[in-house]
Amino acid sequence: MAQKIREVEINSREDTLPLMGPDVRPYPVTPPPSQEEVAAVYARRKAEEFGKWCEDNLRIDYAAAKPEALQGVRVLSCGQWRMGHKFGAGLLGELGAEVINVEPPEGDPLRKLTPFGREEYMLEDKNGDKCGLDFIHELRNAYSVTLNLETEKGRELYTKLAEHADILIEEYPPGYMDELGIGYRQLSQINPRLVYCWIGEHGQWGPMKDKVSKFGQWMLDPFGQAACSFIHNTGFPEDLLPRGKGGDPTQSGVWFADYVAGEQTAVGALAALYWRDEFSGEGQFIETTAAESLMDILDFDITWYGFNKSIKARTGGWDPNLNQYAWNPCKDGYMMIGGQTDRLWYRIGMCIERELPIFGRLIHEDPLLKEMAARNALQALTKTYTMTTMWLRNINRVEAEEKLMQYEIAAGPLLYIDEVAEFPHFKYRPWVNVLEDEEYGTLMYSESTTAYQMRTPGRVKWLGRPLGKDNAEIFMKYIGLGQSELRELKEQGVV
Amino acid sequence: MKDQRVTRIEDLPGPKSQGELEEMKMPYEEWCRKVFAPGQEKTKPESLKGIRWLSTTMYIFTPHSVANLAELGAECIKIEMPRMGDPMRHTSPFNECYLYPLHDSRPMTGTGLGFTNANSNEYYITMDYHVDEMKEAFYRLVKLSDGLTECYRPGTFDRWKQSYRYLQELNPRFIYVWGGGFGYGPKVFGGSYDILGQAHAGLASVTGFHEDFGGHCTKHSNWCIDWYSGTQITVAMLAALYWRRKTGLGTMIEFSQVQAATRCLGYAAPLYGRFGIVRQRWGNWDTQLCVHGIILCGKSDYPDEANPQLKYEARYVVVSAFNDPDFKELCAIVGRNDLWDQYKTLQDRVKPEAQMVIYKALEDWAADKTRSEVVKTLTDAGLLAMPVMNDKEVYESEHFRQRGTIRWLDDPVFGDVLIHSGYSCGLMSKTPRRVNWIWRPVGADNVKIYHEMLGYPMSQVEQWYEKNLI
Amino acid sequence: MCDIIWCKDCDTVNYLDPYYFWNWEGKIKCAGCENVYYIYMIQGHMYKGPEKKPGEKEDILPVYADKPNEGYEEILPGTEGKTRPYNCLPRHIYLGEADMVKFSARGRPVRGWRPQPPSTGVAGSCGFTWDIQKLSPEVWEEYQEKVKKGEVGDW
Ligand SMILES: [Zn+2]
Repeated sequence: MAQKIREVEINSREDTLPLMGPDVRPYPVTPPPSQEEVAAVYARRKAEEFGKWCEDNLRIDYAAAKPEALQGVRVLSCGQWRMGHKFGAGLLGELGAEVINVEPPEGDPLRKLTPFGREEYMLEDKNGDKCGLDFIHELRNAYSVTLNLETEKGRELYTKLAEHADILIEEYPPGYMDELGIGYRQLSQINPRLVYCWIGEHGQWGPMKDKVSKFGQWMLDPFGQAACSFIHNTGFPEDLLPRGKGGDPTQSGVWFADYVAGEQTAVGALAALYWRDEFSGEGQFIETTAAESLMDILDFDITWYGFNKSIKARTGGWDPNLNQYAWNPCKDGYMMIGGQTDRLWYRIGMCIERELPIFGRLIHEDPLLKEMAARNALQALTKTYTMTTMWLRNINRVEAEEKLMQYEIAAGPLLYIDEVAEFPHFKYRPWVNVLEDEEYGTLMYSESTTAYQMRTPGRVKWLGRPLGKDNAEIFMKYIGLGQSELRELKEQGVV
Repeated sequence: MKDQRVTRIEDLPGPKSQGELEEMKMPYEEWCRKVFAPGQEKTKPESLKGIRWLSTTMYIFTPHSVANLAELGAECIKIEMPRMGDPMRHTSPFNECYLYPLHDSRPMTGTGLGFTNANSNEYYITMDYHVDEMKEAFYRLVKLSDGLTECYRPGTFDRWKQSYRYLQELNPRFIYVWGGGFGYGPKVFGGSYDILGQAHAGLASVTGFHEDFGGHCTKHSNWCIDWYSGTQITVAMLAALYWRRKTGLGTMIEFSQVQAATRCLGYAAPLYGRFGIVRQRWGNWDTQLCVHGIILCGKSDYPDEANPQLKYEARYVVVSAFNDPDFKELCAIVGRNDLWDQYKTLQDRVKPEAQMVIYKALEDWAADKTRSEVVKTLTDAGLLAMPVMNDKEVYESEHFRQRGTIRWLDDPVFGDVLIHSGYSCGLMSKTPRRVNWIWRPVGADNVKIYHEMLGYPMSQVEQWYEKNLI
Repeated sequence: MCDIIWCKDCDTVNYLDPYYFWNWEGKIKCAGCENVYYIYMIQGHMYKGPEKKPGEKEDILPVYADKPNEGYEEILPGTEGKTRPYNCLPRHIYLGEADMVKFSARGRPVRGWRPQPPSTGVAGSCGFTWDIQKLSPEVWEEYQEKVKKGEVGDW
């Protein structure tokens, strides 16, 4: 195939950015496997009929033509900086709720954040306003309105919006809204059916409640991660990597605690909605924090302290409960291998021994490694993973995966986002997807996790939203504000 | 019929009684304590009263999706393989913590703490459901329930004639969830674990210290992604219940744990899609804010303790001063006003080169201080900072005790257990979550469910048990 | 040649754990004898060495070593002068086996020991009580003692 030759002059990295866009480099670079190829996979385990049924009923391609589970649920989301309310409201929005995101007239500061301060990674809307990618990615299917809650008029309009809401998700410092007279105490008087959710890092009450600095700076994740022992328990031990060079307690690479708080808020809100509609007709007040909802999912960590005063230590890419169950370095990155029962343990070993005979001598023949529970001892982990890595360092991730798959081992390469986007299964679904946004053009995004359903799949309709884009529509529809009034309010700095 | 000429107080907005009026005037914190009332959960109703859910699940990911319902008051029935139970029962950190019930045949086998928190409040029965003889009992359960969550390899339940294809015929209101690693597609039969999701989905690639600093990709502690993904299933289940109230129809939800880990990557996908830039890991610093990260202090807070986690590790502090005035103050405190002169805007200080200089200066300043000295100095100055807390400190935290999110449970079968789940998922003023028991022995509720609920005679139950079918 | 050093003088295998040594240059002492080896590893491969450096001081010890030809005799982490200590553990003592616990951290009974008495329930069923006084009278006695001594707290 003849290739078009382009005249390109590159003097700086900035010059390369236009060469990377979706128009010149469409996604995916290579096409996903065809449905015929995948049907052959189903057939290998005699599941062709069931596989076809799944494809016919669950494929994301049909999602847009199906009803939405939360159609008719109205969600007001109001917060700044953090991910919690955006993710929580986003999950509901993906499932069909109508989400209205309320921001101050100058916008959520998260709009202005961009990795390493690089403005060239921000996207411009049709008004020419730039917005950071975190904000665009996490604000999903939401309308954007602006309100200055520091003004009386702004609070009045906010209250009127809340009268129409089923769920309100608020993420401001503790007591801030209450002091303004628009917290749950006041709004529930006006709309007793309102399910009001507050999200924070540590809590809105209690000795360690959320604080702002004396200059007004908010607490953000990782304050949540640090308060529940997650950071202390994550990372490499100093014994496996020098301290200061990765052998330290380590935070998540994303604002993980906020995400966990967001999803639990969605759970709480929907449960409260169920109780309201099924039994009582009443709304309620819900408080979710990053620290506690992440603590909820730290397995047995605190329970273990209560058992025999153990304080969980970090174990890097290994797991102290299972062997093998780890990733270790290989020729071109890291390879994850898992399988702890005897059956899987020896299968992994057979696969490695075929190419590294000494593995059999040192691992399989060692009497201490023959018992499953004993293999979790520290010395056993050290020995097993040293030997496994002796094999891995000679091969690439793809090769390792192919070899291990022949032995039906749950194994997978550690992937970077460009590899994730091109991984056959990912692009077949596709889990990293693209949509043509009215404002921001073609966007790649992580697909909704609830999009694979028979009757009411979730879906992403748009991402991000220019600030205040929906002021006119929303204020007219729910409050009855006309154009001229809106113009006045704008001049007064209310919207 | 209401007389329209009369204005009644209950029709007006605002407090309706003296009590309510006082509540409106209460200091906010005090009022929060009152409405959430930790410890009083059992005096309030349950959100999901009347919902019954089956859990044919193993490990953490899918069990957690059901445990969320059970904590919210649904009646959940966990079905395990006879005798063996959920494989998660056999995991325990460093092989050292197990709880032992009364036994029938395996006196030396307990349930490891790895099982904790994933199946709270549920009833536990056993069933070898792929045996034809048990099919009828399984179908009976389906007819009496609102939904089911399963985690077997795709096609397995179909082969056993209990996939949604079959069950929707028995019970059109039934909500069926499959949770696993991949779902339909080329890797449909690929097994998955938490760690595989972390590795495969891109989360590991952005977590840990960068190799330029000597670091490697790091695993999120324990099985975080399993739990996190399980909660998103619960969101989908509750939405399906909402829709069913309107239409009377169930649905099938297919949920992939691997995908959920990609979902929380923020700007990674759009950055790559638009600009071809691959997000990397950035250790304990933030890619978009500075100062907003974790620093190492020179001295431990507990140099004389025997436990190495106290003696060596209690040395890390979260420091956050990314806004201009905060950063300026921080520079003054550590005696480096030159840094403020050099990096006056967030855009200046968040650049990688600047971050390396700034965090080094902070760690140099902290090199002769303990963790608590650093935190005290900064917070006394009105800045935001906190210690990186360990399990002991979390347990001893007055904050979590008062909020009831860490508490001791007098488990009916196992005795005194410390729990940090359930109550911590979010406080609810009217229908709070609750933890009734941590878990039950394998098959503990066989009589209750097979005999009392499904109406099988005791002799039948005993016979099944002898044949190893339950 | 690889990331174990199989010392021929004392027949000991020193395991060079994959993260610490993935890119590493320096001298490591054999856990079985006094040999010091210089190694230079790049991407997990031995770029130089292992090369004996008699009389030189080591930079580091291995974390674990064993002797496959002597019944896989273990040289556990933290064996003085042989292996380096492994500090990042949940307690100062490393167990690696079930910890038989009768009382929780605040001193109340918890069923953390085995064996427990047999069950009497049909089909493995079990109620919602643990009659400790009847089933494990000795633990109950011990608990009463603890209560008297004030060793039982709320937290
Ligand atoms: Zn030697």
